Amino acid sequence: MLNYLDILDRANSGPYISEENWDLEKVAMTTKRLVKKYKIEWDRNQLVTDDPALSQAIWNAGYELAVEVGAYSRSTERLIEISQDEIDSGIRNMPQEVVMGEGKDARTLYARRLNDERAPLSFGGSPGTPVPERMFLANVMSYMQEPLIDLATCGTLVEVDGREVRTGNPIEIVSTRRELQYMRQGLKRVGRAGMGMLAAQSSVSELGDLAAAHPDYLRPCDSHLVPMLNELKMDHRNIARAVNSLEYGMVNASLPCVIVGGLGGGPAGSAVVNVASYLIANLTCLADYHILHPIHVRHIATSTREVLWVINATAQVFARHAPTIIVSDIYPKSGAGTKELLYETAANAIVNAVSGGHLEGCGSADGNLPNCSGLEARLMAEVALATHRMKMNLKQADDFVLQLLPKYEHVFTADGNPGLPFDQVYDPVKIEPLDFWQVMYEEVRTELKEMGLIL
Amino acid sequence: MSENEHLQAIATAVIDGETEDAVEATKTALDANVDPLEILNIGLMGGADEVGKRFERGEYFLPELMMAGRALKGSMEVVKPILLEKYSGSDSKVKGKVVSATVHTDIHDIGKNIVSSMLTAAGFEVTDLGVDVPIKSIIDKAEEIEAKIICLSALLTTSMPFMKDLIQLLDARGIRQKYVVLVGGASVTESWAKHIGADGTARNAADAVKLAREKIGM
Repeated sequence: MLNYLDILDRANSGPYISEENWDLEKVAMTTKRLVKKYKIEWDRNQLVTDDPALSQAIWNAGYELAVEVGAYSRSTERLIEISQDEIDSGIRNMPQEVVMGEGKDARTLYARRLNDERAPLSFGGSPGTPVPERMFLANVMSYMQEPLIDLATCGTLVEVDGREVRTGNPIEIVSTRRELQYMRQGLKRVGRAGMGMLAAQSSVSELGDLAAAHPDYLRPCDSHLVPMLNELKMDHRNIARAVNSLEYGMVNASLPCVIVGGLGGGPAGSAVVNVASYLIANLTCLADYHILHPIHVRHIATSTREVLWVINATAQVFARHAPTIIVSDIYPKSGAGTKELLYETAANAIVNAVSGGHLEGCGSADGNLPNCSGLEARLMAEVALATHRMKMNLKQADDFVLQLLPKYEHVFTADGNPGLPFDQVYDPVKIEPLDFWQVMYEEVRTELKEMGLIL
Repeated sequence: MSENEHLQAIATAVIDGETEDAVEATKTALDANVDPLEILNIGLMGGADEVGKRFERGEYFLPELMMAGRALKGSMEVVKPILLEKYSGSDSKVKGKVVSATVHTDIHDIGKNIVSSMLTAAGFEVTDLGVDVPIKSIIDKAEEIEAKIICLSALLTTSMPFMKDLIQLLDARGIRQKYVVLVGGASVTESWAKHIGADGTARNAADAVKLAREKIGM
């Protein structure tokens, strides 16, 4: 099994290749060839597939891509060559269970299979969304207090003490620690102090991450992000995040945000790149689990047809061929205070849950604005658990999603559907949804029940 | 071959992202005395426009944009000297020079790459400085190549302030008026662009090209 020293050595001594040639000739051309070789096609009218042969083809192509190209070090502009045996060893060593949190609030994330007997878990929070300090604590508590939420995540602080936070600036240390102080405070206040977190979201460079590895902030039983760069790239700064966990013991969540419409081309190629990314991340990110977060090249949102298909395809490939722990981000286009946000969340939750993922969300309003609240996360968890309780099969899931799409697809415009900030949809003192938002939620819930979802 | 057929062959090569074909078709057209300005405006720009439309319709993706950019660049290397010879001193009329970069501390490049590719495909001469570029380096490069436009990208909200710093440094150096500064990225809004004194932002790559053309009167 490769260790971080091997990765660094190879990043320093591998063959030189320009980044443009890596992007185009290694990633894009190889992916295009493999998609053709394995005849992988996507269908915009079947977003939850039930086709073992298709899954096999995507697995074969993703595996071949990882073995053939390896990874790229942007820090040294060199290939990080990885052998087939090393890829295989990474697959064999993928954790099947990870305990997060402590005491009565601890939860065990597990590698899900299709039709798994165990229910999916839900992380509540708006991951990475910029949230002003004045509403940060109330916002995270709105998720933490939800009984169906198992694990906590959060947005990023973009100003502290009235000062703008800049990436890599010393103030990033303060903002990351402040975020974690609010998180720990929030968990105590809702009576779930031991709940596990995926946090240090304010650490946009490695600086905050390094500063937060302390039992008062990010505990060894919590997780942090180890991002990959698009596509199949690492740099020393992100490897430093993984290395930071070696002795301290934080859980590493790899984050390859494959761009759907980017170097992999359309959904078919993007799924192939996503599979390869996880196989590489096993080694370069020292991943304990993987975040599934494809990004639409124009619309960003995970609720577009293209991205839903990639989520379905990627999660199913691993559930069928090499179970690993996958946590699937939900980033709807719409923001809080809109019905479309709830439809998008429901569609995403169904796809994620039946395809073999756990859930994280919601990064409402594309995760760009603090227009997010615990109420949509409640619906996310309710829908995910309903699919499990109903033993929903892939075909049924596809039918539900196709019924939901016409209710929200009109939001994919340049203006989007940003909704309202947290403090205009919740009472930030009582931490309760305002009446109009609660009513919208109830109405959508009723509609979902009428569609046949047992909530 | 008629003039139209020559121009169509060039456009097709750009649309298909075939650099060798684009270079060959350009040479053949020049040998057949097709006006180099027509080659630029109809053959190359026509092809580039179609590439942009296909990207917007979701038929083309980033690799196709990059391949078209390469084909266009290859063809331009052939036609540019002849264009300059025939229309002496018209380099600045032919295209605008652009410096593009993802600002200091931000390492995200897909959005910037798409805009750079689209601008290249639209006939701008783009110097792409990559990611995590210090603001001083961006300004120095713009001065060195006599750029007209500086395009700044940032995905991270906490890297966006460096866009403001760049504009303030241009001001401090007394060269703000020399440049059109365009900003972009997932979190960049029109109000942010206005707030920091930028000359504009666009919601997608096609609009970025329109904006750049509009700002320098192309």
